[in-house]
Amino acid sequence: MARKFAYYPGCVAEFSSKELNSTTKALAPMLDIDLLPMPAATCCGAGDVAEAKPNLYLTLNVRILSQAEEMGVDIMTICNVCTLNLRRANKLVKEDPRLLESVNEELVKAGARPYEGTKEVTHLLWYIATEEGLSMLERQGPKGLNGLRVAPYYGCQLLRPSSVMGFEDPDQPQSLERLIVALGGEVADYEAKSKCCGFPILLARENTALKESHAALSQARDAGADCMVTPCPLCHLAMDAYQRKAEAANGEVYNMPVLHLPQLLGLALGLDHKVMDFKRHMVSMDPVLSVVGGEPALAGRA
Amino acid sequence: MPQTTFDVFRYQPDTSDEAYRQKYELEHGTDLTLLDAILRLQNEQDGTLAVRYSCRSAICGSCACRADGKTVLACMTQVEDLKEQNGGQPVHVDPIGNFKPIKDLVVDMEPFWNKFKSVKPYLIPDGDAPERERIVSKEAMQKIYNESKCVLCAACYSECNSLAADPEFVGPAAFAWGFRFAGDERDGQRSQRAKLYSGEHGIWDCTRCMYCNERCPKGVDPRDAIEKLGGIAFQEGIALRDAGGRHAKAFLISLRTGGKLNETLLVPLTQPIKSQFDIPFALKMISKGKAPSPIPHKVKKLDEVKKIIKSVKETI
Repeated sequence: MARKFAYYPGCVAEFSSKELNSTTKALAPMLDIDLLPMPAATCCGAGDVAEAKPNLYLTLNVRILSQAEEMGVDIMTICNVCTLNLRRANKLVKEDPRLLESVNEELVKAGARPYEGTKEVTHLLWYIATEEGLSMLERQGPKGLNGLRVAPYYGCQLLRPSSVMGFEDPDQPQSLERLIVALGGEVADYEAKSKCCGFPILLARENTALKESHAALSQARDAGADCMVTPCPLCHLAMDAYQRKAEAANGEVYNMPVLHLPQLLGLALGLDHKVMDFKRHMVSMDPVLSVVGGEPALAGRA
Repeated sequence: MPQTTFDVFRYQPDTSDEAYRQKYELEHGTDLTLLDAILRLQNEQDGTLAVRYSCRSAICGSCACRADGKTVLACMTQVEDLKEQNGGQPVHVDPIGNFKPIKDLVVDMEPFWNKFKSVKPYLIPDGDAPERERIVSKEAMQKIYNESKCVLCAACYSECNSLAADPEFVGPAAFAWGFRFAGDERDGQRSQRAKLYSGEHGIWDCTRCMYCNERCPKGVDPRDAIEKLGGIAFQEGIALRDAGGRHAKAFLISLRTGGKLNETLLVPLTQPIKSQFDIPFALKMISKGKAPSPIPHKVKKLDEVKKIIKSVKETI
């Protein structure tokens, strides 16, 4: 029976990066998961609300956790930032009953359900990059990535701080690598895979942010990657939507297609390309499709 | 008796402009710290090997370096633990990152101290000095307890991603000290500090890579301190002077009006002037469907959210 999750796609996947949301939803049955909508869930605040009004951040995130509790299921996310914000709030109130009590007072005052502290928050990557998840992928008989050289890009907030995230060693993460290999791809390894994409300050400090994304994009290119894959839509915006800006700012060319994690899974499992909506990417996905199969095909690749 | 190979960064500007690496072998007992190992190499094998240290017990913060790429205090890191983590490979020892090496593992800390001084890391009370000491409650001290633990080892600067991209960024430890005083109820400069820390290369430059929280050997969590300084900037009414503060404001407005982030607000609110000159990029984003409808998406039970926003008080 499919495992049920309260699905928290986050704002970016629902609006500017809709292709991530549509791909995840279409993929869910293939991964034997049932993603239940959370129509009353707000934005997690993306670290910005925590910075402006920390108590408000905590209350709103606990409200989201409580909604999942009412549904009787854990939360699944597809965004690094949402994962960190929800997990951090969860950890804070689980470790401090007095804090939970005061947050619950605010929730009840506003007519919302109080939280009992019984739910967990996971990311799609963490669900799929386990022994169980990988063997489930095998049962799907993946069509495979056909040797596509993929640069794993973790970004920051799915790894650090490890006291809140804790799925894997933040200095030697391997979940994306395991997944890429299991799907028939090759790993293009590089140092900056767990450094920052710069997105949180992309609008406020564009020059600094574009230097940050440069590190990952240039290293992935130099490692011979056909494309990059990321579990975070904000990293995707920084790496894909702002890639041409990063090229201009740093005087280099990367030409690096960037896949959302579910798109990589979708390509390997033969998901309909229309659902994955590659047209919404800024950097053309054609070089990737020419390797994996799809159109247009380029001749001459070994 | 365990034997370990140390692969050490060497830089001896008296003899060469080029840095190089040198391997040393050491036989040792099972409870050797990395600092003790370096000092034994210095004493027994190579007197030219330079390292900065003092207390040997994780209090002075002098011996931060990178072990297998990860910033640590050498005196609180066991060699056997490093080998367990790296599978018995040679242990790579390097100076901390984001600083200029002076000699081997010793770096030029001048920029760090200048940034530290720039945040006025001392108490500046209002009014005349009281006749007796100022009594502070346990609860009030608890608020600044984490930040009070900082030993200025600069481990947080070593892998700070903002600093790597912008060497002028004031940085994590300095802001931890900034909050340690801005958050101290005896201090009278809360508003002035908020202004001082919000400038160019200030708190809004933090990219939230979380390396500082990950690496701090004392549990200071400098990123959390920077976050709280942002909250103080909001409380003191100066946050909107900076693009970073306006970026956060866009989230607050979005939550109030719909519950979800209204991405269309984000750019013009954060950069009202600059965004006018970025029309070609905006058009490209629109053509790819990356500029969603400006009409806010409303979550169910938005009234709950509005009530929470109205009711919750901040306690920084």
